[in-house]
Amino acid sequence: MKLDIPLQDAWQPLPAKDWNEDTARHLLRRAGWAAQPAEVDRLMKDGLTASLDRLFPAKANPFPKPRLIIGIENDTEAFAKKLRAAETPEQKKILQREQRERQQQAVQDLSIKWLQFASVPENAVAEKWVLFFSDVYVISQESVQNTAWVYAFQDTLRQLGFGPAPDLAKAVSRTPAMIRYLNLQESKIGTPNENFARELLELFLLGEGNYTEQDIKESARAFTGYREKLGVFHFAPAQHDNGPKTIFGQTGPFAGDDVIDLAFTRPAAGRFLPHEMVKFYLTDDGIPIEYLTAIGDWWRGTGYDLRQLAQHFFGSRIFFDPAFRGNYIKSPIQFYLGLVQDLHLNVAPFPRHALNALRLMGENPFRPPNVRGWVGGRMWINSGTLNSRRQLVETLFTPINEDNLNADEQVQLVAARSAGLSDFTVTNERLGTILTSMTSAQITDLFVNYFLTVRVDADFRANVLAFLSDPTAKDPLARLRSTAITLLQSPEYQLC
Amino acid sequence: MNNPLNTLPTTRREFIKWGGRGIGLIAFSRFAPSFLVESTLAATPAPEKDRSILVLVQLAGGNDGLNTVIPFEDADYYRLRPTLGIKKEDALPLGDTLGLHPSMTALHALIKNGQAGIVQNVGYPNPNHSHFRSTEIWETGSSSGEFLPTGWIGRFLDNACAGIPDGKEADPVAVHVSNEMPQSFVSAQTHPTFGLNGSGGRGNPENLAFLEKLIHHEDHGANANVSFLRSTMMDALVTDKKVQRVLGGYKTEAGYPGTPFAQSLRNVAALVAAGMSTRVYFVSLGGFDTHSNQANTHQRQLQTLSDGLAAFQRDLVAKKLDSQVLTMTFSEFGRRPNENESRGTDHGTAAPLFVMGSCLQGGSLHGTSPSLKLQRNQDVTFTTDFRQVYATVLDKWFSFPTDKVLGKTYEPLTFI
Repeated sequence: MKLDIPLQDAWQPLPAKDWNEDTARHLLRRAGWAAQPAEVDRLMKDGLTASLDRLFPAKANPFPKPRLIIGIENDTEAFAKKLRAAETPEQKKILQREQRERQQQAVQDLSIKWLQFASVPENAVAEKWVLFFSDVYVISQESVQNTAWVYAFQDTLRQLGFGPAPDLAKAVSRTPAMIRYLNLQESKIGTPNENFARELLELFLLGEGNYTEQDIKESARAFTGYREKLGVFHFAPAQHDNGPKTIFGQTGPFAGDDVIDLAFTRPAAGRFLPHEMVKFYLTDDGIPIEYLTAIGDWWRGTGYDLRQLAQHFFGSRIFFDPAFRGNYIKSPIQFYLGLVQDLHLNVAPFPRHALNALRLMGENPFRPPNVRGWVGGRMWINSGTLNSRRQLVETLFTPINEDNLNADEQVQLVAARSAGLSDFTVTNERLGTILTSMTSAQITDLFVNYFLTVRVDADFRANVLAFLSDPTAKDPLARLRSTAITLLQSPEYQLC
Repeated sequence: MNNPLNTLPTTRREFIKWGGRGIGLIAFSRFAPSFLVESTLAATPAPEKDRSILVLVQLAGGNDGLNTVIPFEDADYYRLRPTLGIKKEDALPLGDTLGLHPSMTALHALIKNGQAGIVQNVGYPNPNHSHFRSTEIWETGSSSGEFLPTGWIGRFLDNACAGIPDGKEADPVAVHVSNEMPQSFVSAQTHPTFGLNGSGGRGNPENLAFLEKLIHHEDHGANANVSFLRSTMMDALVTDKKVQRVLGGYKTEAGYPGTPFAQSLRNVAALVAAGMSTRVYFVSLGGFDTHSNQANTHQRQLQTLSDGLAAFQRDLVAKKLDSQVLTMTFSEFGRRPNENESRGTDHGTAAPLFVMGSCLQGGSLHGTSPSLKLQRNQDVTFTTDFRQVYATVLDKWFSFPTDKVLGKTYEPLTFI
């Protein structure tokens, strides 16, 4: 798309005069999930520079390892032993099935725990950054199966996501999840598997058109010998091809790390990640290549430091450009966590609430459709996914019927409550306090201004006010509830 | 209007009248107002009769092809299936060497009178044994090692439905009877598709009426994504309302079984009969992943499939719609030729699929059966590529150039 902002201004820091509550909200919604008033106040108090420093720290807050993951890790050796000791294929199959179920349960639990963690304002921005990287470096629990590896993979993104980009790429290439997902496990001298090398250059570092088939073939040789052993990276020298390779015109006995360093000597490496950021955070239309080249050149000068890139990007004039307000279709995860934050709720502790909704809306956590990840933008939207978005909003305004919970869910509910999480739905009591303290006109302004990023005109407000204050409505509380639900289901709320 | 559900226009004439009230096309001009529908009320134009319609029936989980079309003269079959093998005398004969599973009497009758056929041993090179991945290969129409971002139906829609002027298209171009949109429908451009799911989600009428009001709201300053979301949501709401009315008022004597699968097909028949201009329907029947004690399960599955398909065809014939509709089954893979220790079968490769419709020709069996000279845990080798089946549908049913959808041409089969 064509931009109004001139190239020489685009990546300059936002002038202090333009820093206000509107720009602060834009930053919170795009870098995180939503703009809670307390967070806006905090940003205004701290100023943009200090806020960026805090939101994109040197190290993200640690995400505690869920208990089920620890259990799987502790049992890894014992399970491998049991599997070897199985006397018949039948026994082996039963063991494997049990293990699959355990992994399945673990990934659901991991998803819920992560959503809970990411919904906390203190973690939101860093965890969205992690989600961004997991849409660049894609793996899927569906194919990796081992949920402990999936946790470890995500944690690698979290631990190294604010350091130098080449370090992150090298660490990713050593994760058991990636080794399994893109077939490095089978890749050996003589018969290199090209899957990882291809995606590394095409989808992780450079983008299509910025390498040759020869570069892929030779890079694949460099990554031979990468193995996973009981969930730990292990390099097998005997499987590794240490002969000379020619990659990007350079020849040497390159190993995997060298391929990554070589890729980062290419100009395309500087453009690639900023382009992914633009599509994930700013607009799915993309921006002209000269804007990407400009930030890419600057980024290279930082040694490809990811924290500096993030702060530069989110502090720039182009990021705050008015063309990028209210134009972005929320991903299902952002839609859900945005609702949770906007409504000051807690993520309900059982899968049927959030996870079913996310799957139906098209974004099953830890299970992207394929190695390209989620395409996003308008691809999120069709009649089915919109219906699911509407249903999710209704769910968040409907009390949980505790009599209908199964035994697992009861346990999960008790555990969540004892951890201080109890507001899973918007109650009538909360709506009641709004009703008794504000006029219909005030409520209309509150809801429209607070929920919607898209600017709506006077007619829209008039429609809301007319519905809210309809004298024929029998139950004002139900009317208020309907108003909130419908605004959150509206096309406008799908955008930020 | 008394009924709050009825604030949206459901006919072209209503729409134009309503547009005159200031709500109109301008707000959506970037997107075809595809909710213009034209056939449910008596005074509206007749449905287009010449449209070819495809009904895709997914057999999810991997259908056991060898116990669906049984090679009863092949000693290897009984060697590989000592307990699960279906006896020759039980199979419903399809010729001298093959028979249909005994539970499929209804479909067998259709095959006998030329309304259904079998394409044998369909698969693809370098088969993948993962449900997820192999389904993706079938739905995107890719090779084993290739990842395509769009589905084969989606690419058909991209090519066939592009360039239709605003306001001309009416109904959703593709309808899936499931919660999630099938990967087959994923397209590069946006087309009106519709998910017909059993579970409500329509919300209370009061909210819905208010939501409709907000969507109709005309706002010239709205950005492109607001317009896109409004038109998509409006399409969904209008289509849903129309569909509910069509389904509620549908009369049929076809005697559909009570299974959810048959009811899904009944709903498809109702939409076809209502003259919806939808080109592709997608129905899924799950439960084919028969790893253990498969005999009874598989029998039930095939009977559900057979009885459902037969009722659907009966219905179409009675309504004289059979010449418009081609139905085709697919499954992500067949199953391992040798049965396992749990009297089930593991993930395999190629398998037969069914086609149904009055357009069929060339006999009941197409392609060749697999060779079963196989070791333990060896898979059959496909003899017909699934993309040849797609090519046949595209080329001969939709009269559409195959290479635009599949990237290259494939030798079509002769069942149409």
